[in-house]
Formats: sequence, C-alpha cells, structure tokens
Amino acid sequence: MSGGIRVDTASMAVVTDLGRTRGPAQGLPVNGALDQYSARIANILVANPEQAPLIEVIAFDFAFTAQADLLVSVTGAPMTVDVDGVARSMWEPVSIGAGQRVALSAMTEGLRTYIAVHGSFDVPLLLGSCAPDTVAGFGVVLTAGWRLDVRTPVAPIVNPYFDMSLFNLDVLIPYFGDDAVIDVTDGPDAGQFRGAGARLFEATYTVTAKSNHIGLRMAGDLPVRSSSEEMISRGVPIGAVEVPPGDELLVLHRGRGVTAGYPVLAVVTPLALDDLGQVRPGQQVRFRRTTVERAEENVRAWRARLDRLRQRVDTVYACLGVDRHLELWDPTGSPRPSRASAA
Amino acid sequence: MTGVDRSDVLIAACGPAAVRVGGVSGDREQDWRVMHQIARRLAARGELGLTGSIPTYEAVLVEFDPMLITIGAVMERIQDALDAIDPDAPLTAEPRTFVVPVLYGGDGGPDLDDVASLTGLDREEVIRLHQEPEYIVRCLGSPGGSPMLDGPAFPVPVPRLSSPRASVPAGVVSVAGRQATIAPASAPGGWCVIGRTPLTLLDLSREPLVPYAPGDRIRFTRIDEAEYTRLEGRALVAEEVAA
Repeated sequence: MSGGIRVDTASMAVVTDLGRTRGPAQGLPVNGALDQYSARIANILVANPEQAPLIEVIAFDFAFTAQADLLVSVTGAPMTVDVDGVARSMWEPVSIGAGQRVALSAMTEGLRTYIAVHGSFDVPLLLGSCAPDTVAGFGVVLTAGWRLDVRTPVAPIVNPYFDMSLFNLDVLIPYFGDDAVIDVTDGPDAGQFRGAGARLFEATYTVTAKSNHIGLRMAGDLPVRSSSEEMISRGVPIGAVEVPPGDELLVLHRGRGVTAGYPVLAVVTPLALDDLGQVRPGQQVRFRRTTVERAEENVRAWRARLDRLRQRVDTVYACLGVDRHLELWDPTGSPRPSRASAA
Repeated sequence: MTGVDRSDVLIAACGPAAVRVGGVSGDREQDWRVMHQIARRLAARGELGLTGSIPTYEAVLVEFDPMLITIGAVMERIQDALDAIDPDAPLTAEPRTFVVPVLYGGDGGPDLDDVASLTGLDREEVIRLHQEPEYIVRCLGSPGGSPMLDGPAFPVPVPRLSSPRASVPAGVVSVAGRQATIAPASAPGGWCVIGRTPLTLLDLSREPLVPYAPGDRIRFTRIDEAEYTRLEGRALVAEEVAA
C-alpha cells in the first residue's frame, strides 16, 4: 500500500460497489449503490472497473485528506466540493495532491453522492462484493479517523492555466428534482388487485421517514387487493411494489430480503430505481406505466451512453499516460464466481 | 423420460430484470423439485447476464442483467432447462442430515407458551411435535439463508406475531403458519420464537455461507442449559454417514 485517504468527517458513509450479485441465491440481498448510474460514472471517470469499491455518502457532510496524490471523481446528489478552499466540479476527474483536504457539504437535492478514487480501495469482499450487508454484519462504515488504502495512486495531473478543469467529457447528469416520476411495469400478481391497481398511476405518494436501502415506504391512496388468499413465500425482485398490511405502499430496493409473501403489483424499472435511490423522505412520487420492452430499450441506450463515456475517458487517459485499469474491467459489472478470487 | 411438460409451469416477466417461473402441475413435490432444478441448471450454465436464481416452494425467480441479455433469451434458457429436467428425479441423490440442538422455552423461546395456547396443546406436546419430523430444507430464505421447513404437525396454523420484533438474535428457532425455521443471523422477526440453538449457522468465510442446501434434512433435538453452554458457538455440521 502506498497511501490512500484519511476520513475527517463522516455521518453516514460506506464503501460499496454495484452489489453482491451472488448473494440472492444464498439468501443475502444484493445491496450495493442505490444510484447505480452515478456510481458507474464515478468509476468510469477515474478509469476504474465499474464494479470497483467506492464511497457512498448519504445526506450529510463528508471530508477526507489525501495521503498520496490521487485522481478523484464525485457524482450523484449535488454537493459543494471544496479542495483546500477551492471549489471543484462534480461529474469530472479532479487531481488531488497528497495532504490536500477534500470537503463535501450542503447536499441540496438528492440523497446519495459517490466518490471514486483511481485505483480504488483495498477493502474486504464477501462473495466478490464489498457492499455492506446489515444482516450478515459485513461491510465498511466510515467514521472520522478511518483510513482507506488505495491500490494504485497516480501522479497529479495539473492544468497550468489557473488550475481550471482539465476535462470536458460530456457526462449526462441526471435530474435531481423535487418530484420523481417512476416508471414501472406490470407485476406478475397485478391481477390480484383487479381495477384497484390503476390507483397506483392516479395517486401521488409521499415518501416517509421509514424508508431506507431495504425499501421505500410511501403514503397515499393505496391499491387494495381484491383477493385475501394467503401467499406462500417467493423470490421478489428489486423494485417490487407491494401493499403489505398497514397504510403504506412498499417499494423494495437493493437491500430487500430475497423472499416475501406479498403479491407484486408492479416492478420499478432499473433506471427508475436509480431515481428512487436519490429520493428523500417527504418528497412526492408518481408512478408511470411502461412495458418490459420499452424498459429494455432504455437500459440498452443507457449502457451505450456509458460505453461512449468510457471510450472518451480511455482516450484522454491514454494521451495523459495515466495507468488505466481496464484490464480488470468485467463488462458484466458483476464478478462471476470463477473470477472472484482473482479480483 | 425427461423434460417438464410445458403446461406444468407458468413463465412470466417479473419486471425488466427478472422472470418468475411458477409450478402448476398440481403436484407440490414435483413443482418444488423442478423449480430448484431450474435454478441449478441455470447456475451451472453460468451464462453472461444470468445473475442468479431464487428458488422457493413452487416458484423460482430468475434474475438477469438487461444490459447483457434480453428477456426473450432468458426465457429460452429456461425452456432449455425445462427440456433437460426429469421431473421425477429426486432433487438431491444423497441428502445430508443436520441435527440441531434446541433449548426450548425460557428467555430463548419467549413464545412457547403462546404457541401452546394458540394450538390448544401443552408445552411438552409442542416441543414433542416440533422434534418429531425429519424436515426437508425447502429453500433458503431471509435473513441470511434461513432453512425454510414445512412445519410441525400442529392441529392448527400458528399465527404470526401481531407486532413483529425489531430484532431477534441469531440461532432462534421459530414457527409460523405451517412452517418452521432457524435464523442464521439477527434480524427483525414476526414468527413465534419457541427456542434457540447454541450452534452457529452462518459463516462468512466459506461458500456457501450456510452448511445445508435445499433437499437436505434437518432434525431438532432438545437440550438443557448445561448442554447449551457447552455447545455455544460451535458450527452446525452434517451428521456422519455410516459407510
């Protein structure tokens, strides 16, 4: 190890990645970054594999000191990024010198901000992933004083002209607004709600404070099941919209238990799950009906956009002579068992 | 004769990143075997984009990455698996047996008396019935790979707690409806807790994380406090099979 970062301020921050895809078959939730788009972009911007460990900062201020020269990117919910008193931009690579202090503050919208460091962090893995799992008691939760080793620090890339931004990589920045419109497809059990299922698309729901990485709870005009038959436990997907007993809608996110005994009314699309990962308690949510085919097209367009960004970053770093980590890049974004030990 | 009759299953999208296969043959045992065989065959195939499957009692949720594989291709892979499965073959040729020692009642089993009164039995009868069967591990559930077991032969189903506990410790042995389980990890719980095992089920340093798999067998055996203390923290391992 040749240096890394020392955490100075942290309230809610963890080291995570794209998730434990081998978990669900063994009874563990997939977990991982709740805004996968922002997490992938953060790693792409510093030439890391997309599933490399990175920091997820939730809601509150976060600060660290670089203990080596580092190449860093900050994406996700908008925050003020301050490097030794100088404001820097999110959504682009930023060179940090050893000893410099990076402070993220004033998250104005959204809920989760991502910090990736070129070379990534050296942290323990469980089934090929560093994503925290509260049930298994696994993962790195950052507190003041915590030191994270970086695998490969890089020499600083400094723009001699007024230390201005070096890169214009044309990243598409998501909208972090007040009202979220969430695309869902019909769930396999929509029939159990008959006409009442349509209420999901007519009502406006308010995200309540009981929401977390396991699921978002929403208050509003609830669709009511027309059958009351007891259901046996089944595997439920991330994004499942359920109506458990009580007065709230439950939308499962990446920390969801893998089985449940409630009917699945609708399923949130992968792209809309990223939006839900940025929704705050108190915010309003509306649901919009889409099809599986349409959702597939959107996912592929999204993947193509990420691939183009990776190519641009690759070109830039090749010109600058930065050691790239593309050899580690697994296009699945999800390490498979045979490769896990090599990662 | 191999191959699962297409009319014995329902295959449906479960959102843009999962497919649910349900068994509708009318034979619950066959449905269960077929669902777990689908999961095993897809895992063995190890195809890019097929991230994993969650088989339960009469359904399997096949998860995939829509960036890498289309839902149409996933359904074809499921059909390939169905064509190759013998629906009558046992899920596990040589199931292992795990004996789980349980300290019933007391602080470790706070709902034992309630289960007795809800089922119209006395405590001893509840404990006897719970120890009676050789349970089949039907599937792995939450939290952390709990073995889901078809419950003891109580005269009536056991209702869930009206107010779930915020946290129950690892090792609790519980019942609900007509099911029974053991919790490998601490988690919130709405099932009736009748006892606790001193053994450790979850081991993060090995894979799989729990020692049993669907198709294996579990038996419960009663222990006293002295035995509980003696066994505390040991790992649950399969019984030795006589050669």
